[in-house]
Amino acid sequence: MADPGALLRAVDGDALGEWMRGRRWFGAKAADMTHFGVLDVVALREQAPELSCALVEARYNSGVHDLYQLLVGAHADGSLAYDALADTAEAAVLAQLMQTSARIDGAEGTVSFHWTGAAPALSAAPSVRSIGAEQSNSTIVIDDALALKVFRRLLPGDNPELEMLRFLSAHGFENIAALAGWYEFTGDRMEATLGVLQRFVGGARDGWELAVSEPEAFLGRAQELGEVTGRLHSVLASDATDHDFAPEEPGDEALGLLVATIDEEIERAFFELRDDQPVVAPILGRGEELRDRLSLMSHQSAGGRLIRQHGDYHLGQTLVGGEGWVILDFEGEPARTLPERRRKRSPLRDAAGMLRSFAYAASAMDLIDGREAPAGWEAEARRAFLEGYFSAVEPVLMPAGEAAIAKLLAIFELEKAVYELRYELNNRPDWAAIPVAAIVRLLDDQLS
Amino acid sequence: MTGIAPSPRSASPSHWFESDPLWFKKALFYEIHLRGFYDGNADGSGDFRGLTEKLDYLQWLGVDCIWLLPMYASPLRDGGYDIADYAAIHADYGTMDDVRAFLEAAHQRGMRVIADLVMNHTSSDHLWFQESRKGGEDNPYADWYVWSDTDERYRDARIIFTDTEVSNWSWDPVRQAYYWHRFFGHQPDLNYDCAAVHEAMLDALRFWLDLGLDGFRLDAVPYLYERENTNCENLEETHEFLRKVRKTVDTEYPDRVLLAEANQWPEDVVAYFGDGDECHMAFHFPVMPRMFMGMRREDATPIYEILDRTPAIPDNCQWGLFLRNHDELTLEMVTDEERDYMYSEYANDPRMKINVGIRRRLAPLLDNGRDDIELMHAILFSLPGSPVLYYGDEIAMGDNIFLGDRDGVRTPMQWTPDRNGGFSRADFAQLYAPPLMDPVYGYQAVNVEAQLRTPTSLLRWMRRFIFLRKEHPVFGMGTYEPLRGTNHRVFAHIRRWEDDIALCVHNLARSAQAVELDLSEFEKRYPEEMFGRTRFPQIGEWPYLLTLAPRGFFWFLLKQGDEARG
Repeated sequence: MADPGALLRAVDGDALGEWMRGRRWFGAKAADMTHFGVLDVVALREQAPELSCALVEARYNSGVHDLYQLLVGAHADGSLAYDALADTAEAAVLAQLMQTSARIDGAEGTVSFHWTGAAPALSAAPSVRSIGAEQSNSTIVIDDALALKVFRRLLPGDNPELEMLRFLSAHGFENIAALAGWYEFTGDRMEATLGVLQRFVGGARDGWELAVSEPEAFLGRAQELGEVTGRLHSVLASDATDHDFAPEEPGDEALGLLVATIDEEIERAFFELRDDQPVVAPILGRGEELRDRLSLMSHQSAGGRLIRQHGDYHLGQTLVGGEGWVILDFEGEPARTLPERRRKRSPLRDAAGMLRSFAYAASAMDLIDGREAPAGWEAEARRAFLEGYFSAVEPVLMPAGEAAIAKLLAIFELEKAVYELRYELNNRPDWAAIPVAAIVRLLDDQLS
Repeated sequence: MTGIAPSPRSASPSHWFESDPLWFKKALFYEIHLRGFYDGNADGSGDFRGLTEKLDYLQWLGVDCIWLLPMYASPLRDGGYDIADYAAIHADYGTMDDVRAFLEAAHQRGMRVIADLVMNHTSSDHLWFQESRKGGEDNPYADWYVWSDTDERYRDARIIFTDTEVSNWSWDPVRQAYYWHRFFGHQPDLNYDCAAVHEAMLDALRFWLDLGLDGFRLDAVPYLYERENTNCENLEETHEFLRKVRKTVDTEYPDRVLLAEANQWPEDVVAYFGDGDECHMAFHFPVMPRMFMGMRREDATPIYEILDRTPAIPDNCQWGLFLRNHDELTLEMVTDEERDYMYSEYANDPRMKINVGIRRRLAPLLDNGRDDIELMHAILFSLPGSPVLYYGDEIAMGDNIFLGDRDGVRTPMQWTPDRNGGFSRADFAQLYAPPLMDPVYGYQAVNVEAQLRTPTSLLRWMRRFIFLRKEHPVFGMGTYEPLRGTNHRVFAHIRRWEDDIALCVHNLARSAQAVELDLSEFEKRYPEEMFGRTRFPQIGEWPYLLTLAPRGFFWFLLKQGDEARG
C-alpha cells in the first residue's frame, strides 16, 4: 500500500496551489503567493481508501507563510482527492473518530479526537450534508443533529471557539449549540485546534434573516436578544479562578491603547479613500474631523471590566427558535491573530457589534428587497436590545454612569464602522453606504 | 488585574507559537529593567505583577520578545549581575508563581521572554562561594572558583571596571588566598576548569527553560576561562563550553535562543556564532558608536566602514542591534581618536562619562531632536540584525546624570503625568530611584499616556514603524548590499529576501541633500515608498536621483511594473 505521506509530499505544488486558490476559505491574494507545499501528514485511516490530515503551507513573496488544514482522501483511481470533506460519505468519519476518542500518532505529530458526551451517539450510517463554506472553515451537518466545523487556516494555540464553548458549557450558559466533541493536532510544528462538533440547531431561524424579512417580528424579540447577550457576558465574567477568563480591571493605558489603535485605523481607512467613488463623497476629506471627534469621546477613564467576549458579534451569528436565542461562532474575527481574538476587552464591544448589525439590517431591506425599513425600526431595535442587555449584564462590567457607557459604546461603534468601511470598499462597494452613513451620523451629531 | 490567577498550566512556549527555529531573526526585542518598569504592589520597586499588567502595552507596541535584566536573588551590588541564587528571584520582584503567570500571559499575547544570565561569576554571597572559601580537601566546592596564592597570575588580562578596580585579584581573609574576578571584587569568577561547575550552570539554564523562558542573554561570555600568557578573553575552551550549552538547549528545548554579550570587534564576536553551533545571536557593539559618530559628522563613512568590516555569519545566526541599553554607551570598540571625538561631542559634562563610555539615554544624546531620533531608528531597523529597544526610549525618556553608576539611565518608566509618573502608588520616598522631573524629560512632559493620545507623538510613530518592519521579513532575513552613491552624507543600501527587494536611503546631514544611486541592476522597476505606498519614477539605466530632507530617509520596495500601485 502506498504511504499517503509520501504520496502527499510528492504533490505538485502548482496544482495544489491552483486548487487552493479556488477555495472560498483561502484568503490570500494570488499575486502574493510564491509556493505551496505539504508539511506534516498524519494518516487517519490507512486501509483503502486512505484518509489523511495534512498541514499545508502557503508561502508569500515577502517570506511569511500561512498554514492550512487539508483532509486528503483518494479517488477511485488511486489519485489524491485534496478535499475529502467534499465526499460526504467521508465527512462523518471525523465525528466517528471523536466518538471513539481516537488518538492517532503520525511521524510528525498526533491528531487526537475528543467526545464530550453532550450529544446523542451517531447513527450507524450517518447522513451528511454540507452547509457551505465560510471565510475560515467548512461546516457539515451530520444526521441533522450535529454540525462539524473544520478550521482551514490553522493558528497555534487554543481556538477561541473551543475555549468559549467549553467554558460556557461548564458554567451553565444554555443559549449555545452544545459542544459534542473536537479534534486537535499536537506536533513539533505547532499545537492547534482542527475542528469542533456541536449540536445542530434545527428548525430555528437565522437572526439576520428574521430581521430583514420580518422586521416587526424581530422587534418583538430584540429585547430578549439583549438579555441573552447580557447573560452571556455575565457568565463569561463569572469565574475569577480561570486564568483565561478572569475579568480584569482595565489598566491606566487601556483606553489610550484602544483609542490610539482606532485612530490609526481611521487614518489608514481615509488614506485609502478614492475621490472617484461617489459612495464615499459624504465623508471624503473628513478624516481629521473624525479623529478629533474620537479624541473628544475618549476624554474619560475606561472603567468597567475587561472580559472575554464573542468577538465577532452580529445578527448572522444568532439563531432564534422555540427555545429562544442561540449564539453561534465564537471563533472571533478570522482575519485577526489569535492573541488579538483572545484579548479581554470591554463587553460593550460585542454590544456595539450587534447595534451596527441592526444598521446593516435596516439598509439590507432596501438593498436586497428594495423596500424601506419600517420608520424608526433601527432606533427601536437598538432601544429594545440595550434595555434587555443592561437588565441582564453584571453592572460591575460597565463603566460608571450612563454617559461613560454611551461614550464607550460609541467608540466601539465607530471602530466597527471604520472596519466595515474598509471591508466593504474592498469587497462589496454597494454596501459601503452603510458605514458611510454611520460615520456621517457621528460627525453631524451635536456633542452632548 | 483583579483576577487572582490560579497556578497556570505549563507556560511552555510551544503551546502558543508555531515552531520556528529562526523566530529571533524576525523579532523586535525590548529590554526591560524590571525594577523600573511598573510597580504592581506599591512598594516602590517594579515587579513581575506590574510587568504583567503592562503586557497589553508591549503587545500594542509590537514587541516580539522581552529581554529582562537579571531578576535573580542578589545583594544588588551590581544591578543584579551579582547572582546569589540561580533558582530564585529577588523578593522585590515577587514570587515564582508571579513569574509563571507572567510567562504564560506573555506567551498568550504572542510575546517571548528571554532573561539575562551571568555564567562568568556569581555574587560573593552565593552559597557556592561561601562554601568554596572554606577550602579543604574534601570540600566539593573548593574548586568552583579561581583561587591562587599569588596575585601575579594572568597579568595580561585587562581590568574592565577601570573606575573602581585596581586588580583582577582580591584577597580572601577566610581562605587566606586570592580569588579571580574580571569585574567587581564582590563578583568572584566561577572556575570552568571544574566539571561540576558545568553541570551546575546547565542545571541553572534548565530550571528557567522548564519554567517557560525562551532563552538567555548571556552576560560577559568572553571571560569564562583563564590561561597564562593570554588576555584571558575569547579562549577556545570558552567556545567549547558554549557548544556544550547550545547542544543541551537544542536537544532538550527547541526554539529557544542564546544571545551573547561579547563586547568585542566584529571579527572576534563572530567566533561566538561558531559554525552555527554556539550562540544564536550576538550583539554588534561597534556599529552603534559609529552611528552616533556619523550623525555628528554628517558622514555615512563610519557606518559603511564598520559594516564592511563585519564578517558574514552563519544563516541560522543573527546580530542583535541597539542604539542604547542599560549600560553605558560603550566606547571600547573604537580607536582612541574616535573615543576622544565621541567624548567631546556627546559627553561635555564629565559626569556623563563612566568607565570607557558615556552614560546617557538616546534622547539626550541626540539633543531630543525628533528627526534625529527617527533617523537613528530608521538606520537601526534597516540594518541586518534584530533591533533591541531599551524601555523608555520609545517615548524619548531622558536620564539623570546625578545618580550613581549607571542608575541614571535606569529611572522609572514614565506612564502618566500623575504622581510618580504613574510608575508606583508608593510614597515618593519609597521609590527605588526618583522619576525624572525636569521640564524637558520629566514625566509631566514625557509619558506614555500623553503620547498615546497624540497621533504625531514619537510613540505612535514608533509603533507604525515597528509594524511596517514586521510586515517585511526582508529586514530580519535579507542580504545587506551597501550602495555607495555620489554623496558621502547619505547612507544607502539594498536588502533582499525571497521576492522582496528593499532600498533604504538615509540622509545623515542637517541640510537637504541629493544623491545619485546606481540602480541599473533594477532597471524597469518602480521604487514604492513603504510608509505612504507612493510610487516613484521608474528606474532607468542612468543613476537614480533622490533628494532628501535634512535628517530625512526613504525606504522603498523595488517593485516590478505590474505589482506597483498606480
